[in-house]
Amino acid sequence: MKSIVVTLAFFLASAMMFSQELTLTVDAPESAVRGQRFRIVYTVNSTDGQFSPPRFDSSFSVQGPQQSTSRNVQWINGQMTSVSSTTLIYYVVASVPGKFTIAPAQFVTKKMTVSSPEREILITNDAAAPATGQQQGQGRSSAGNAETGSELSLKLLVNTREVYAGQPVSATLKLFSRINISGINELKYPDFKGFLREDIETPQLKSLETEVIDGVQYGTGVLQRFLLYPQIPGDIRIDPVQMTAMVQQRTSMNDPFFDDPFFENFFSNVSTVPRQVATQPLTIKVKPLPEPRPADFHGAVGSFDLASSLSATEVEVNDAITLTITLKGSGNLNLAGEPVINFPQGIEKYDPRVTVKSTGTASGTRSFEYLLIPRNTGTFEIPPVSYTVFDPGQEKYVTLRAAGYTVTVTGNPGTVETAPQAYVPGEDVRYLGQDIRFIRNGDGRLAMLPDTLVTATWYWMWFVLALLAAAAVLLLRREQIKRNADIAGLRNRKAAKSARKRLAKAESLLKTGRDEQANAEIARALWGFLADKLSIPQSELTREKCYSSLRTKETGEELITEIDRVLSATEYSQYARVSEGESPAALYRRAVRLIGQLDDVLD
Amino acid sequence: MQRLILIFIVLISGVLTAASQSPEERYSQAGNLYSSGDYSGAAAIYRQLYDEGYRSEDLLYNAGNAFYKSGDNASAILFYERAKLLAPADEDIDYNLQIAGSKITDRFETVPELFFVRWFDFISLLTTTNIWAVLAFAMFALALLLGVIFLTRARAKGRLLSFWLALAAMVLSVVMLSLALRNNSLVNHNKNAVITCSIVTGRSAPGESGTELFVLHSGTRVRVEQELGLYFEVQLPDGNKGWIRADCMEKI
Repeated sequence: MKSIVVTLAFFLASAMMFSQELTLTVDAPESAVRGQRFRIVYTVNSTDGQFSPPRFDSSFSVQGPQQSTSRNVQWINGQMTSVSSTTLIYYVVASVPGKFTIAPAQFVTKKMTVSSPEREILITNDAAAPATGQQQGQGRSSAGNAETGSELSLKLLVNTREVYAGQPVSATLKLFSRINISGINELKYPDFKGFLREDIETPQLKSLETEVIDGVQYGTGVLQRFLLYPQIPGDIRIDPVQMTAMVQQRTSMNDPFFDDPFFENFFSNVSTVPRQVATQPLTIKVKPLPEPRPADFHGAVGSFDLASSLSATEVEVNDAITLTITLKGSGNLNLAGEPVINFPQGIEKYDPRVTVKSTGTASGTRSFEYLLIPRNTGTFEIPPVSYTVFDPGQEKYVTLRAAGYTVTVTGNPGTVETAPQAYVPGEDVRYLGQDIRFIRNGDGRLAMLPDTLVTATWYWMWFVLALLAAAAVLLLRREQIKRNADIAGLRNRKAAKSARKRLAKAESLLKTGRDEQANAEIARALWGFLADKLSIPQSELTREKCYSSLRTKETGEELITEIDRVLSATEYSQYARVSEGESPAALYRRAVRLIGQLDDVLD
Repeated sequence: MQRLILIFIVLISGVLTAASQSPEERYSQAGNLYSSGDYSGAAAIYRQLYDEGYRSEDLLYNAGNAFYKSGDNASAILFYERAKLLAPADEDIDYNLQIAGSKITDRFETVPELFFVRWFDFISLLTTTNIWAVLAFAMFALALLLGVIFLTRARAKGRLLSFWLALAAMVLSVVMLSLALRNNSLVNHNKNAVITCSIVTGRSAPGESGTELFVLHSGTRVRVEQELGLYFEVQLPDGNKGWIRADCMEKI
């Protein structure tokens, strides 16, 4: 501080020696906005003199002046030239619109007086200004603080306020400043709830560009560009972005002794002060994607084209080919899911390599590279890829298609395959999914629902009828058996009678001496009796039959041998002379006795 | 007026074209719709054929498939169960029914039926009730014939054999008759029903006043115990009973 004073004193002294032409210039905007602060700057090429400000209009609220001096001294060949200047800055806020005249200011030195030219200024009513908030009319000491509040602002600019879910919002964080900033200390982003943030590479801010907004000059700079992908529908608020900037600020000593504009020059200081600014909160309306979503929609929102390419369509077995599916356009490329391709079995598929090439804000290409290795020979059909995206411009789902390919695989699969899989005899069948089985084709063998038999009365009538029929058959049969039995009984009852009749005839024949005829009559009587008693028809009548029938009736063997003897005797006597055998009378008596015995046994 | 006539003509022609198509044509048309992905269209045609009284295991199986694909899981189960009654040994029906059944919300600890009941039901479903009825009558007639032979041919050699054969035929006839009756009650008067409402409450009494006992979801199989107006008393697979609105279920 001391050295400055000494230097100044030296310059003050030396300035006396050179007289020079004095000029006083004024720099003021041609127009300003009501309520907005603007600057009027007076510059005079002298340091020693008295500046008398003009009389400002009563509607002007004036702060200042900020006074600064500079001096440039050169020695050239022993000649010293000195250029000095004084700058006074007034900060003015006009409260009434209209055209105003700024009266000349005067600068008085010991030798002369100069006046600045007269300036006209137009105060307009339009209040659309970028500065955020203003503080005025405060004390002098707080004036410095107040000015940074309005001179420095941070804005988050978005390209649209209404989007579909997934549709990217391009956002720019921009700094507006009218004061010197030495640096940015801290940039604090909110958590962007409901959005996915993707930063776009932004060159680091080195210097502010000049931009005039509403007639006011600002130093502007883009701090960061980024894309916001809304994830959930609804009105989503973006919280303020906060920034701490290092602001160069003039501080003054509030000492009553030095409370004079003159001293301000010497005892004021420029210091760097952190200052916080924040953007205004924003609300973005996120519309939900229309339902129902198509099955092959994988989250891509934007305007896209789809293309596919295959590295080779004819390939040797086990040689890799590459299928590239490229999605090109603008939209949420980073969130576009993998397309579903049903590769034919026999081609080994690896997970795709996904590359994104961005050519600007939210546009570029996203490519899916599938490495395919055919493991079998033959012709394989890679189906056309269908990929549905939502186009916010058309506000509907658009299905994109890329061509399919036919791959011909040649070569001998066995020779190569044995090498890596020498000890694997086969592989388990891979089950890919589960679904119901397909419908049956054909005519369906349709038939009308038939009437059910078990509920029909006539069905049960069948059973009754069958039962009745069986009963009838049984009855008839019984009747017949009974009748047959009656015939046998009759013969049985008549047997003894007819036998006695024949025996009586034989007796009378014996008396007349006709022995042969008598014998025949005895035989007939015996045979007839046996036939009637045993119910044997005449045609089947033999000795054996009679005996077996008698045996079943348990008549006793003696009786049977007796019958046999009598029968033999009668037969014998028919062919031989009577004298040789038994007398016919004795045979007759035997026969009578035999028939009587049989009648008793067989009855 | 003109519009009315137009509507009338359209309706008439619609009815005529529907009537002019034979059921086989409509059946194959539904198959084409299914193949092209119009599952609900195919299901509507199958359903119509069923309502008109046409039956075949293929029709019911396809109807189940169409309903499953169009998202109506309850109807799919209903038709698979119906198809199973016509073809108890069909493996495709079992498979699809199992897949459709895996999407049912309600799970029960079910007690399996006694094995001989299951076998008896299975045998009874092997053919139709009418074939069982005819066979039963044929057996009955055979038994009578053998009985008559046994009773009349007193001295025939196979007399004893004919007696045993007659007895066997009579037993067979009784068994077949009961199979015919069982088949009829399973196929035409099945007491099981499938819940078709997505959610329905079982109450302790018919009407909306009864205490709420349980909640069922679509696709669950219940057994109808009683019918009273608009409410059926059903028994759940775990044995619990409750009253449910009749329009929330369809009998198998």
